[in-house]
Amino acid sequence: MGDTFSLVAEGVGLALTWQSLLAIVLGVAAGQILGAIPGLTASMAVALLIPYSFYFDPWVGIPMLLGMFKGSLFGSSTTAILIRTPGTPAASATVLDGYPLAQQGKGGKAVKMALYASVFGDTFSDVCLIFFASLLAMVALKFGPAEYTILIVLALCSLGMLSSRPAWKGLVATLAGVIIGMIGLDPMAGTPRLTFDNPELEEGIGLIPMLIGFLAVSEVFRQMSGKAEDLSAKAIRYSDDPADNRVSMAEFISCLPTLFRSSAIGTAIGAMPGLGSTVAAFIAYGEARRASKHPEKFGKGALEGVAAPEAANNAVSGANLIPLLAFGIPGDIAAALILSALMVQGVTVGPLAFSQNPLPLYAIYAALILANVVNLILGLGLAKVASVAFSVPRRLLLASVLVIAAAGSFALRGSVFDIQLVFLFGIFGYVMMRFGFPPVPLLIGFILMPLLEENLRTVLLLASTYDEHLFFVFKRPAFLSLLALMGTAIGLVLWRRRRRALGARPDA
Amino acid sequence: MRGLSKLIGGVLLAATMSSGAFAAGYPDKPITLICPYSAGGGGDTASRIIAKLAGDMMGVQINVENKTGGGATIGISAVANAAPDGYTIGFISTSPITIRPHMMEAPYNPIEDLTYIGQFVASNQPMIVRADSPYKSVDDLIKFARENPGKLRWSTSVQRGGPHVAVEAMFKAEEVDATFVPFKGGSKVLAALLGGTIEMAMISEGNKSTLDGQTRILAEGTPNKNPVTPEAPTLTEAGYPIAPAIFFGLAGPKGLPDDVLAKWDEVLPKVLASPEFKQIAEAQQWTVAHAGHAAFTKIVETDYAAAKTAIAAIGMK
Repeated sequence: MGDTFSLVAEGVGLALTWQSLLAIVLGVAAGQILGAIPGLTASMAVALLIPYSFYFDPWVGIPMLLGMFKGSLFGSSTTAILIRTPGTPAASATVLDGYPLAQQGKGGKAVKMALYASVFGDTFSDVCLIFFASLLAMVALKFGPAEYTILIVLALCSLGMLSSRPAWKGLVATLAGVIIGMIGLDPMAGTPRLTFDNPELEEGIGLIPMLIGFLAVSEVFRQMSGKAEDLSAKAIRYSDDPADNRVSMAEFISCLPTLFRSSAIGTAIGAMPGLGSTVAAFIAYGEARRASKHPEKFGKGALEGVAAPEAANNAVSGANLIPLLAFGIPGDIAAALILSALMVQGVTVGPLAFSQNPLPLYAIYAALILANVVNLILGLGLAKVASVAFSVPRRLLLASVLVIAAAGSFALRGSVFDIQLVFLFGIFGYVMMRFGFPPVPLLIGFILMPLLEENLRTVLLLASTYDEHLFFVFKRPAFLSLLALMGTAIGLVLWRRRRRALGARPDA
Repeated sequence: MRGLSKLIGGVLLAATMSSGAFAAGYPDKPITLICPYSAGGGGDTASRIIAKLAGDMMGVQINVENKTGGGATIGISAVANAAPDGYTIGFISTSPITIRPHMMEAPYNPIEDLTYIGQFVASNQPMIVRADSPYKSVDDLIKFARENPGKLRWSTSVQRGGPHVAVEAMFKAEEVDATFVPFKGGSKVLAALLGGTIEMAMISEGNKSTLDGQTRILAEGTPNKNPVTPEAPTLTEAGYPIAPAIFFGLAGPKGLPDDVLAKWDEVLPKVLASPEFKQIAEAQQWTVAHAGHAAFTKIVETDYAAAKTAIAAIGMK
């Protein structure tokens, strides 16, 4: 036992030098800035830096990378909240309540809530990583295509309940998202679908041009169509009331259940390779709304609506390291890049690391926790800077958003076609909003459709290899537990709705 | 401020002069290296490290330009259509050169429209099963597949890539049915194998997972001996139709001058021997393997012809 303790102390010591602290500060700061710029992701920056990373000492380079990924997730939510432009797709669910809050003059409050939720989610999943990595990874490995499929169906149901009234408009929007998501090569047969013989469309519609166009550019068009005098007003109204610019203790405590639930959702999804932080953010948002006593406030500036997706998307990034450290399987691009950075430095991870050489693991743990603290401190600074940066007259801001939108989508693949897409989706989004179609179902349909198709088709393919055919799924314990969970969730909603309907009757 | 710009100007001038002095002839101006894959992937990392190290050695700037799309065919056709002067070259990997052109209408002919400058990485593609799997050899797998048509589930990191073709050709030769289950990328394939969704995989990640004690190597899907399990036969050694090389290399348009090819034959081995390249290669789990212009051209021509026969036999599209 004393032996373990000295090992832990030695490992933590590796990451607690002033050099690595400085590296974390630099990494977090760079991540927050990069994250805030649409189209520039931390993954891209890290990928470009990796050829140079072997010039650093391992315990400078790795903490810097970890800090960068954590910082970028928070950075991307500041622009999502203040100018409706998610810096990375993971922050797109944050737009839903963050932007309405900003419009009410509570941008400062929303950004701070996003920060607290991000750090909360990070810390939660880091603690899970440190104490239950092998256990969680073992369970996650039992999740195959059948379980992924039912999880995605769960997400669609949970978010379908968010749809606006009239319901048919939400349904039409979801369908439109699904159809846009089908554009490109068929994932299994490789034949082009809905590409109209345009080779540019074969790779499908990029998520980033679509998000930026649909959320940010459409909002610019909407504001441009407003009164001329509005355009010289301040872009974002900041309330002078300090209560609107901070998160009070009471507000934070009221968000606590949401924070715990969303972090747990994020950690679970992060432990499974391939689902990703965007999906986690939307599922957490849907669950927060379902569990809320005031679901009608969601979409109009509910603080929980910011807390839920932010806690969940950050929790994913920590949990992605779970399969990496336990099995050597990176959960997403960020984890794959960290894996390659670790190996450049001669640090091996995987099932044998725990028993043979746990020292680097303890150093990674220490760096993760330290990065959370730094993220919180620097984030408070960024929140201030952001509020100054966006306090320019609206006509200036709107023009800059268009430039950022075009440049950001171009930066990703160097494709002019993506710039055309941004503006096309801007117009499309504007028209949709004009006619009262909700944007959320479309986004969810678009994001989940490829995942649902990939996994459902794999399940159908697998079915042909079992004697029980499709019923093989009922022999999987993980599938049955998820099915039970989903049944309970839907049952609860129906029961609560019924009770509310009964309760409401006497007033009517 | 003016002093600073003068200083920079002087340094730049000196740099150009020194490069001019060292490089007799090619290259005397910046080279464009077209990478047909997007920034952040393995192909991009490879392009950038080669550009940096080779550029330093030749004393010129090598600029990497990502031209993605069409399963890498858009970038490669840009290389094929460039002027054959050695100042526009491209990064290439197996699939769009020896495999995919047999299944789709590629905008170039890999044999007639390109010059192969050199290969620098040739990865292993071990055929793996779980460490606790009952299959100890390729024959055990084939026996199971013969007795249980369609029930052997397997995967590779890329659908319709070299390893996919090689294993399909193996099953075709044995006249057995197995089920290919596609996943996106080697790490998801490994997760599916360890989680019991599939029984066999051919992925480069198999070397590390075998060292970790999670998997067992039954065979090797490329012509290179497997370093982790040297006794594992390659698919052609085991008597099957094809074991295509899975390579990273450089190519240029048809008709590159001899002095350009000679320069790269001289520089590329030095790049590969540098500690910087070795370190990146180890991190990315690449097997460094140099082949010069002549040897690389032969590898491509052999594999192209073998893949053509194998793909026609399988009927893969």
